Amino acid sequence: MPRFYHDDPAWSDVEPIAQDDGGPNPLAAIAYTDEYSEAMGYLRAVMANNEYSERVLSLTEHIITMNPAHYTVWLYRARALEQTDTSLADEIAWLNPTALMHLKNYQIWHHRQTIIDRLGSPDGEADFIATMLGQDSKNYHVWSYRQWLVKRFGIFDDKELAWTESMIEEDVRNNSAWNHRWFLVVGGRGGQGVSEDIVKREIEYAQTAIRKAPQNESPWNYLRGIIRHAKLPTSTVKSFILAFADLEKPDEVYSSHALDLLADIYIEENKKDKAMKVLDLLANKYDPIRAHYWNYRKGLLEETGAVG
Amino acid sequence: MSLVSGPGRGGMTAIPAELQLFVDKHVRYIQSLDTRKDELEYWLTEHLRLNGLYWGLTALHLLGHPDALPRQEIIGFVLSCLHGNGGFGAAPGHDAHILYTVSGVQILATLNAFDELEERVKDGRKKIGQYIADLQDPETGTFAGDEWGERDTRFLYGALNALSLMNLLHLVNVDKAVEYVQSCANFDGAYGTRPGAESHAGQVFTCVGALTIAGRLDLVDQDKLGAWLSERQLKNGGLNGRPEKKEDVCYSWWVMSSLAMLNKLHWIDGKKLTSFILQCQDPEGGGLADRPGDMVDVFHTVFGLAGLSLLKYPGLAEVDPV
Ligand SMILES: [Zn+2]
Repeated sequence: MPRFYHDDPAWSDVEPIAQDDGGPNPLAAIAYTDEYSEAMGYLRAVMANNEYSERVLSLTEHIITMNPAHYTVWLYRARALEQTDTSLADEIAWLNPTALMHLKNYQIWHHRQTIIDRLGSPDGEADFIATMLGQDSKNYHVWSYRQWLVKRFGIFDDKELAWTESMIEEDVRNNSAWNHRWFLVVGGRGGQGVSEDIVKREIEYAQTAIRKAPQNESPWNYLRGIIRHAKLPTSTVKSFILAFADLEKPDEVYSSHALDLLADIYIEENKKDKAMKVLDLLANKYDPIRAHYWNYRKGLLEETGAVG
Repeated sequence: MSLVSGPGRGGMTAIPAELQLFVDKHVRYIQSLDTRKDELEYWLTEHLRLNGLYWGLTALHLLGHPDALPRQEIIGFVLSCLHGNGGFGAAPGHDAHILYTVSGVQILATLNAFDELEERVKDGRKKIGQYIADLQDPETGTFAGDEWGERDTRFLYGALNALSLMNLLHLVNVDKAVEYVQSCANFDGAYGTRPGAESHAGQVFTCVGALTIAGRLDLVDQDKLGAWLSERQLKNGGLNGRPEKKEDVCYSWWVMSSLAMLNKLHWIDGKKLTSFILQCQDPEGGGLADRPGDMVDVFHTVFGLAGLSLLKYPGLAEVDPV
């Protein structure tokens, strides 16, 4: 049901301000629908008076429900929250359904972050995130927010890792979940080294995922990232790769990514002819859409003049 | 994104029907966008008004119809979004934010209207430059979007882009900004919104764009990033923005312009991508959608056209990848 302010006694002291469109300008001429237009008029009026009150919170709530992308309203609401002594927990309780209604909106996340930061506790956030990811398991804002929580409250623990694993298990192609795993194990730890055991565990973890879906880009990137981070040679995973791509069996290749790494291994081993053959398979048969890229790699190899 | 040359060559007689670009329809579509003020949708997207104007204007330049929107009125509208502090809001009465400030500057640059700015607003350029410069965090080098403080590599790129259009880059610490961009590089060779955030083609564009403006592409692992970017092409020719996501016309721009800045545009299959973009046109009402069959909008229209321009589609003006 639409809500209006002009006959609401709680607002009788406020004269709404019509939109100033910068003069007689057809590009900005105005024809709002009544409800939105009226609410905005009252918002302009309270903003002109710097009013921060309960009713301002309810007005901004109303406008956000109609148009959550209006960033000025969020900004003003955030200030009103600071100036009134509204319960921050109530604000979060209101934000939950609002975020669920507007999955693509990003102002909500910044707003939430500011409030949780002030509350000083991540309690309940994991459940809410689970609900959000239930709607869209790759929502960029939600994953960024999760990273912020981990960092802000130092939650680099086994529970967080187990949760990330459950997300990958649910969908092994969820690149956001893979990125979160990297953040927990390597990236978020501020350049701290990763122990040999953990490197081994991560290599195995990526390999298990690859076996489930050999053409899935995410675990391959992850595997490569770990090997590179640990400064290991690519040949560390040679036998694993040969199960997916082997020059002896050029018709039974299960993953173009395996071929890609196999080329790296042959380059490492100074086997230029074999590397060329692998790159040919990619350019001509297994990834022809990127033929120019694979031919570029061949060109690099020719320049180096490694012996085959 | 800005334009490097005037209207294109025209003449599309040799192009088969399924590869047609409906230039006139697109021009009319963009002109019509501003006549829909009786629809609520128009007002609910008010927070995109200035960006939308920039997208529409750029699309018209690409299509070789730069005068299809009235220049004086656009300048009037843009300046009505300018606040006393030097920042632009999305529309009159909206708070200043870096994203709109960048669009405002880009529109003025496209229209060659910096002189008019100075005539109407004393020291206009300097004020805008200072507004942007004040949003830089002196410690990390990154930029906030507004006084609210949210940070995103989009803001950093926008800041450098707008400042360089006004020849005011010296107002900020470019080296610090470059350092921050590099801290957003990920293990897969690409970039995210913040350090640690997932790689995303849109964010790659902003980071590579910022490094290009700063003259520091030497910091990028170009082969690795190029490989990640070319991996974005799917069998149907379209490009996605992250691994295992759907194709979308707007990524034609983010991915291709990044590849162009790295001189690796040929690493994707241009023919397949061209035909994917063309399938996203509405041949009746004009405009492009994110993928075939969806609703068109001005955002996907301009990025589709800019993509086609990078692919050297005949008749389109040339676009600068930065
Ligand atoms: Zn899109």
